[in-house]
Amino acid sequence: MTHIDPGLTGAQMTLSPEEHRRLAKRYRRRTTLTAYAFLGPNLVAFVVFLLIPVVWLLVSTFRTGGVLGPAEFVGLDNWRDTFSDPLARTSIRNTVVYSAMAIPAVFIIAMILALALHAIPRGGAPIRVALYLPTLQPAVVAAFIFTFVLHPDFGVINYAVRWLGGDPINFLGDTTLALPTIAGIEVWRGTGFWTMMFLAGLTALPGELYHAAELDGAGAIRRFIRLTLPLLRPTFYFAVIFATIVNLQLFDSVFALTDGGPVNSTVSVSLYIYRSLFLFGDIGFGATLSFLLVVTVLLLTGLQTYLLRDSK
Amino acid sequence: MTAMPTTEHKTRGTEASKGRARSGLPRSRSAVSLSYVVLFVGVAIALAPFLYVVSTSFKESTSLFSYPPDWIPSPIFWGNFESLFADHPFVQWTFNTLFVSGAVTALKLWFDSMAGYALAKMEFAGRRGVALLLLLSVAIPISALIIPMFFVVRYLGLLNTYWALILPPLANPLGIFMARSFIVGIPDDLEASARLDGASEFTIYRKIVLPLIRPGLVVLGMFTFMLQYTSFIWPLIAVQDSDRQVLAVGISGLQSAFLQDWGLLSAGMLAAAIPITVVFLLVQRAFVFNDLSGALKE
Repeated sequence: MTHIDPGLTGAQMTLSPEEHRRLAKRYRRRTTLTAYAFLGPNLVAFVVFLLIPVVWLLVSTFRTGGVLGPAEFVGLDNWRDTFSDPLARTSIRNTVVYSAMAIPAVFIIAMILALALHAIPRGGAPIRVALYLPTLQPAVVAAFIFTFVLHPDFGVINYAVRWLGGDPINFLGDTTLALPTIAGIEVWRGTGFWTMMFLAGLTALPGELYHAAELDGAGAIRRFIRLTLPLLRPTFYFAVIFATIVNLQLFDSVFALTDGGPVNSTVSVSLYIYRSLFLFGDIGFGATLSFLLVVTVLLLTGLQTYLLRDSK
Repeated sequence: MTAMPTTEHKTRGTEASKGRARSGLPRSRSAVSLSYVVLFVGVAIALAPFLYVVSTSFKESTSLFSYPPDWIPSPIFWGNFESLFADHPFVQWTFNTLFVSGAVTALKLWFDSMAGYALAKMEFAGRRGVALLLLLSVAIPISALIIPMFFVVRYLGLLNTYWALILPPLANPLGIFMARSFIVGIPDDLEASARLDGASEFTIYRKIVLPLIRPGLVVLGMFTFMLQYTSFIWPLIAVQDSDRQVLAVGISGLQSAFLQDWGLLSAGMLAAAIPITVVFLLVQRAFVFNDLSGALKE
């Protein structure tokens, strides 16, 4: 680092060691103050809207009440309730199953589209815009669009099914189909985002390596597996972490499409948290579930970092 | 991680002209054709549902259920849009969404670029600790914080205000790391020479750093704006007053209040898609060729 103190450069030769140390210390203190001034607004937001809420969550997991009456300390009751609550377990399972379907699907589709976009000589700009349009929509809008595209009576998909001679499929009213359908809708919405992310990664790759690999006679698939995938590791690292954080928070499309039904087959953790606050007013329970979600995402992110990060 | 100008390919004559110069990958004709086919399918799947919405929004709800479905409504029915603008505070929702998203984006770009500068270029006590704390908090799921956030915002007396929508998103630390990854690439000599000329850190930030990272900030800005434009769960909770609500929540209310009026709902979705699409078209060039994934690299 080349931090040069304007006060020192001219007179450096004539300073005594003590004076030199004193000035250096003063300089460091000033830099530290400046740095914290630059970080200030973010640190305030961090404390008020992240740190305090997380601490509040932790405290609330040991308490009850708080909306109408005063809060009471109840020890581990909330934790026991949360772990023995079958719907809590269902909501966790649904969220995990949803993520396990949606994330790989969206990554594979987006990667294929990004490779295709990277390969074509012209016409990329309008294609990129078209692919990106679904990503620009709020999840609830995507949800409503698919409510009619998939509608059992007049949805276009079911016209096709009937035309082919099948029975109409009730995508969102079937306990086994509802969650995959929601995952599919989120894949439709997310594909544009990840395509652009992967395309940016592909665009930044060094071309020379590919020339060398081709001269060595490596085929397209081999080049992809041996060169592209490893070189895109930083992009994947970001993608996996970001997608995990976002998808484990599944709420909007469930709220708009099924409200957790049919028979709780699409209740997500976030939906259950929302219900525990606004329908049951059970803060302790909701806080415990929330805290579990925070810990889970933190641990998963840590694990992914450990597995995916460059070993430098 | 931005695209570097690939001048070296000019010397490669045949190879560069056969393939694309962008990253120097030579392409066979069949690979290019296959790519176009794949992209055509992708675009069709991305756009077809929108055509459905456009078509439905110009139909009277009674003609929706005709079989087979007619894609082109005849006659064109404007009633859904009339009802949307006359019976619902749709213009107000649009304004609220643009205002809140714009404010969050502007404030975040400002704060994140300052914080990113501090983390990228300043040596100060506690730097590693602050960076680690902020990096950890990237992984805190916001929807797990809705309950405490509700009480914090209520305690501050901000429920049902624009502040309730603008302030909490500022705590999302991802942008700091994106900004830092843009700033790390600026050569130290640039700031050092400015510092020798007696420039303060704030002057260096404003006069040297900000102009240099502008392309990155456009991308970060679009990203922030989009996240904000599509946010749902927090506005749903923080604002009860319909006149202060954002588009996403307002539109979802069209459904429950008026039992599946598909025509109206489609009109609302179409009208809601227009502002964000326009914003995206304005900045899309910058958006594509910048890689945000550098944010999480040490």
